[in-house]
Amino acid sequence: MALIKVRELRLDIPKEAKNLAEKMLSDLEKSKRPYLEAVKTSLDNSNYNSKVGYLTPGEKMVRTELNVSSVQKLARVVFMLEILLRNLDIGAVNTKRELYYICKGLIKGDGKYKPLDFEDQDESDGIIDFIGDMLEVYREELNCYANDRGGQTYSQQLVVTETLPDGDKANVDLSTLGTTPFQPKNRPQSLKLKAKKKIDFCLVVESEGTAGTLQSMGFTKRNNCILMGAQGVPSNGVRGWCKLIENQLDVPMYFFGDLDAYTMQNIFRTLKAGSAASLIRNGDFSAPNVRFLGVLPGDVKKYDLPHYKVKESDPAEARQLKKAKDALENDPFFRDKKNKELSDILRWLIKEKIRCEQQSYFSVDPRDPIKTEKIILEKIRRGDYV
Amino acid sequence: MSKITKSSTAEYFAKNLQQVGFSSPLKAVLTTLKEAVDNSLDACEGAEILPELEIEVKKVGIGSTKNTDLIKIVVEDNGPGIDADDLAKVFGEYLASSKFGRGQCSRGQQGIGISAATTWAQMTNAKGVQVISKTKSMKKAVSAQVDVDIKTNTGIVRNKTTLDWKKTNGTRVEFLMDGRIQMNGDGGLLTYIDGTVLVNPHLTVTHKMGDNEKTTVERVSNDSPEIPEATLPHPHTFKLGEFITHSHLYGKISLSKFLKTGFSRISDQSIKDFVKNGLPKNLVEKTITTMNEEDFKKAFQAVQATELMAPSTKSVLTVGEDSLSKSINRLGEVDFFSVMTRKPTICDFKPVVVEVALARFINRGSEGEPVQLLRFANRVPLQFDKSGCAITWAIESVNWKSYGLSQPKDSLPQGPYVFAVSIVSPFIKFKNASKETIDASDELVEEIRRALMQAGQKLSRHIKHEMKEADLERKLAHIEQFGPILVEKLVSISGANASRKKKAEEGLRKILGRDSDDAVNQLEEAQTKLAAQKQKEAKKMSSADEADKGSQ
Repeated sequence: MALIKVRELRLDIPKEAKNLAEKMLSDLEKSKRPYLEAVKTSLDNSNYNSKVGYLTPGEKMVRTELNVSSVQKLARVVFMLEILLRNLDIGAVNTKRELYYICKGLIKGDGKYKPLDFEDQDESDGIIDFIGDMLEVYREELNCYANDRGGQTYSQQLVVTETLPDGDKANVDLSTLGTTPFQPKNRPQSLKLKAKKKIDFCLVVESEGTAGTLQSMGFTKRNNCILMGAQGVPSNGVRGWCKLIENQLDVPMYFFGDLDAYTMQNIFRTLKAGSAASLIRNGDFSAPNVRFLGVLPGDVKKYDLPHYKVKESDPAEARQLKKAKDALENDPFFRDKKNKELSDILRWLIKEKIRCEQQSYFSVDPRDPIKTEKIILEKIRRGDYV
Repeated sequence: MSKITKSSTAEYFAKNLQQVGFSSPLKAVLTTLKEAVDNSLDACEGAEILPELEIEVKKVGIGSTKNTDLIKIVVEDNGPGIDADDLAKVFGEYLASSKFGRGQCSRGQQGIGISAATTWAQMTNAKGVQVISKTKSMKKAVSAQVDVDIKTNTGIVRNKTTLDWKKTNGTRVEFLMDGRIQMNGDGGLLTYIDGTVLVNPHLTVTHKMGDNEKTTVERVSNDSPEIPEATLPHPHTFKLGEFITHSHLYGKISLSKFLKTGFSRISDQSIKDFVKNGLPKNLVEKTITTMNEEDFKKAFQAVQATELMAPSTKSVLTVGEDSLSKSINRLGEVDFFSVMTRKPTICDFKPVVVEVALARFINRGSEGEPVQLLRFANRVPLQFDKSGCAITWAIESVNWKSYGLSQPKDSLPQGPYVFAVSIVSPFIKFKNASKETIDASDELVEEIRRALMQAGQKLSRHIKHEMKEADLERKLAHIEQFGPILVEKLVSISGANASRKKKAEEGLRKILGRDSDDAVNQLEEAQTKLAAQKQKEAKKMSSADEADKGSQ
């Protein structure tokens, strides 16, 4: 049974990996230092073109040549690669966490592998990511998936048809799910979207809890829309799901989250244009048309929203402000003229040093339980977004 | 209206012994020991005698107060001895001091400590101090009990007798008082002994603490420290009231003469400058006994408004880097150390010298614990309330990570080290009369910080060599561990045969062999450098030893 693919991949991963091992081995036979090369995944190797809509990799590569310092990493890479190739061969899949424990088991079971041992999952995740960047394939194409997180979706109009690996089809009418949301998987799925009735917009809310609150107050009953919770920094699943909605339904998409540097850079930018860490897969995992609905700096005054000062003595807060300054100088997304209004928000945050949370809308009129919904709709109607 | 009565100084201190170091049974024992040892060392230095002390602290029974023991504290020295007539004053009268405010770097200053110890003994065990003393001119030693008459602040001598004594000169004091004994830790007796030993290289001490073995620590220097001459006070360190009081010491002389002879750094030119800065001309030659407060105020203001040379730093006594280096070895087996004596400088208009010794010991402390901190003011260990002390502040403000030590945020660094920081100054500003913490002025903290950073830099050379050594060893191990795995997995993925595997293994050995040769060479270089530095330090210690022998 063939697995669902994210994209049509022209590369034969096992063959590519075998060639790579062959090349390294033959270097060794000649007493030449073998090396591995991967795309450099960092901001200084990111390009942004507003017509493309997402961050793409530049020319820079990281080269890891065999020496006393790198021998550990190289040994770990080929060790992990062998496990991934075996999975591809037999059609098995694993999560990153499972791979971490599989490695630990193999390592602990055989004394000679002991030095490879991973101290925590971050170490093994790093090796998996490196292999992906090296072969320029998605982690999902190595049959390695992450846990599902975020993307809880509510709608009275949306119908999802899923084609399962065995060819069976499942029809999911979101309006029939009661209080249960539809959640996309953090792994490739074959989904076809259909609107029973014209959908006016899709709203992605930073806090999954706030999305749930809006829903329980009847948001999707009153509006022909898709309502989704991002649950913080959007996972690959959420990013791919937004991309799918954008491609198949052509509805305006709005993001509603906190007014602070973290949300702007880490959450909204990642949803709209991908991230530097995932340079090679931003094409399939970003939704370039999404707009920033709020909280906007202007809303703070207009709705007299409760807000407070960023504590600069707090190292985490200070780091965010510093990162925001960095982003204005070095992040091609914020440097692009098309995104000036977004970078203006960053500038405003750096200058005013305040933050205002998405939940502040709830305090605008304490006697009106659906005031937040009203503000959101008013903003959409008036085009009050960036 | 209630009746207003006047109480004596002794009455005040008797009621407020906590202010002078008797706030707990534990502190009472340590403070008493400290005061007795300070007096002995000051007396020896004053008479240019190399001090030999015998100390005993012992639990002899149950104390009269709840939860205390009855403690015996004995300190015997080979100092000049005390005349029989002075016993009452020395041990039984507050503020009777030969050292008060005279601007010398002596340990004692005010004449409170030992009288307070006598009071404590008297209050908890109904007996003051038992003294035996003999000066060279006395045929027999005198033995007596001295009590404090609290109502009149005078000493009372009881049971005075004479006796034949083994010593030609010296003093032995014995206290019996309520207290408790703690050996180690910040307030420990042994910590006190360590500290005293460290900053007094010329001291030989035999001590028996509680149930511990009797131990003798020999001196490592035969130079009795030369106490620098006291210097005249600098006018900028005075307040108006002090200025007027100071004038009373000089009788009927003119203001200009008083200023020139009563203070340092005032010349004829300065007098002219004072006039420029508002000193009325008619006051310059006026006799000070005829001046009123208004006159003094004008004169004082003009003096304060005029720039003067900074106070002299000659009056400051230091232990010195050589002596400190040798003295460190008396605390245990030193792995390596670094010492730093700063040049005398002026902080808050007072001459100050900061000395720092940082040492790592083989059998003391451990990696996860904070370093042991020894603080000194005029060569007296400070053992309580370290968190408020200028020295602690300065240490915590230094980034020790850059010198290779681990350091939790805003805390002392960690590791098997002893950090000894000594502040010497004729005028140390303490936070309290019990002399436990040095007041932290910005200037002083900065000066201590500089000394620490210099010592830290010296120390880091050691630590960095060591870290490099460990790093290289780790890399060498890497090659042996990871090389074979790399080849095995490459062979497995590419499906190569055994002969290719063998060839690749040989190739790998060649490549990494070159690397490991390099690493071995670097390692040897690092080891040589470390050895050279240790040798340099050993030489420093031994050359100081030889210099000592030469002077014998």
